[in-house]
Amino acid sequence: MARARRITPGAEARRALLVDVLAAVVLAILALSLAAGIGVVGFFGLPLLVLGLAWIGGERLLARIRSR
Amino acid sequence: MDAQIAEDPVGARRARARPAPLAPWRRLRRIVLLATAICLIPAGVSYLGSMSGPHNVGLGVTSVEWMRGHGGNGIVSQIENWYYTLTAPSKGGPALRSLPAVGVAGGGDGESASQPYRPPRIEPLIHPALPGEGVWRAAAAHAGPEPPVLLTTFRSDPEYPQFVAGVAWIDSRRTRLAYVPGLAEPPEISNRGPAEVPPARRRGLVATFNGGFPLETSNAGLVYRGHTVETMVNGIATLVEYRDGRIDIVRWEHGANPGPRVWFAKQNLPPIIYGGQLNPNLSDGPEWGATVNNAVRVWRSGLGIDANGNLLYAVANDQTVGSLAEILKRAGAVRALELDINEDWVSFITYRRRGAVDPSNLLPEIYRPSDRYLAPDERDFFAVYARGRW
Repeated sequence: MARARRITPGAEARRALLVDVLAAVVLAILALSLAAGIGVVGFFGLPLLVLGLAWIGGERLLARIRSR
Repeated sequence: MDAQIAEDPVGARRARARPAPLAPWRRLRRIVLLATAICLIPAGVSYLGSMSGPHNVGLGVTSVEWMRGHGGNGIVSQIENWYYTLTAPSKGGPALRSLPAVGVAGGGDGESASQPYRPPRIEPLIHPALPGEGVWRAAAAHAGPEPPVLLTTFRSDPEYPQFVAGVAWIDSRRTRLAYVPGLAEPPEISNRGPAEVPPARRRGLVATFNGGFPLETSNAGLVYRGHTVETMVNGIATLVEYRDGRIDIVRWEHGANPGPRVWFAKQNLPPIIYGGQLNPNLSDGPEWGATVNNAVRVWRSGLGIDANGNLLYAVANDQTVGSLAEILKRAGAVRALELDINEDWVSFITYRRRGAVDPSNLLPEIYRPSDRYLAPDERDFFAVYARGRW
């Protein structure tokens, strides 16, 4: 009987990232093909990306302040 | 686990240092942001490529035009509708004491047996009339007894007594109209040319004025030098030049094929005046193109033709499609189409001296520079050249 393969948490995180990247690629292809044009993608995408990055940045900043 | 930690203290420290697996919503956020970043790559490449080309308008206008041209026309039009509705002018207000000076010399107020045809004075709508209101004046100092272009201004709406319309009359016997493709409009064309009035032809230049809507928003066709650039559409107002040089504004009914007689044809939306009457359907509808609503007050321009076959150009701020049609009808147009709109695109320029020297906008509020068409321009436009001696 084969032993269950141990997966380190780091490998698990990398696998999750790979799955997420693949899902993002599929989502991007879907969005680009369904949108009326890349102008629409840019119009909605740029603020979404800026807000998302600001959200993550804000979270990290708060976490750093709390850990002090 | 405790036993494991006791056996392997280094591994235990690593395990404690590693972050916990991402919560599902954080993974979803990551996926969405990654997808957005991927989507923005082709958009960014296209945008930067477009911005790196030659332009004669600001980054904001160019960006809006890029978005219009890449599927975002509906969004841009909706935002414009909101903006212009919120900033709509109020009725009434103090009366004007004078009108902007146009032209250089008296052009005559009417026809007489001894003189060539001149359009009659535009009857003022608001009384008492202001000095020079509706009176035609020659556009150039050296125009002689038969000026090819006459200019005037008048207050176009009694409910808005501060609105001033600029009107130009172009003598079709003494001029020749030329369509000039711009840097970006029409988007697909062979023999685009210099996108400005060619220097070699400037000696005979009398006037220049803006073209119509971009092809993608005008529901319309274009024929350039006898070749179909965009398929012609029946029922659409069409400025047409025949190979014999004759100009007309018609409601197109000849199908997709322009035929051998047509040298140039530019379509733009349904006619706003036809058979001397306003189009009864000047309210909004899909036939009016993918642009701001017809009832929105904005800079608008239009081109008409009078009963004698001469062209009439009108431009004014804060106009609806209906009020623009009223201006052209009052000026004598029996058929007319709407041309481009918005402060960024309307221009009517005359040249007070030979050789395209001393250019002047028809209305002082037109913010685009008066030498606009003497350098490459974004959009297509029309140049008016004098026939014969000038």
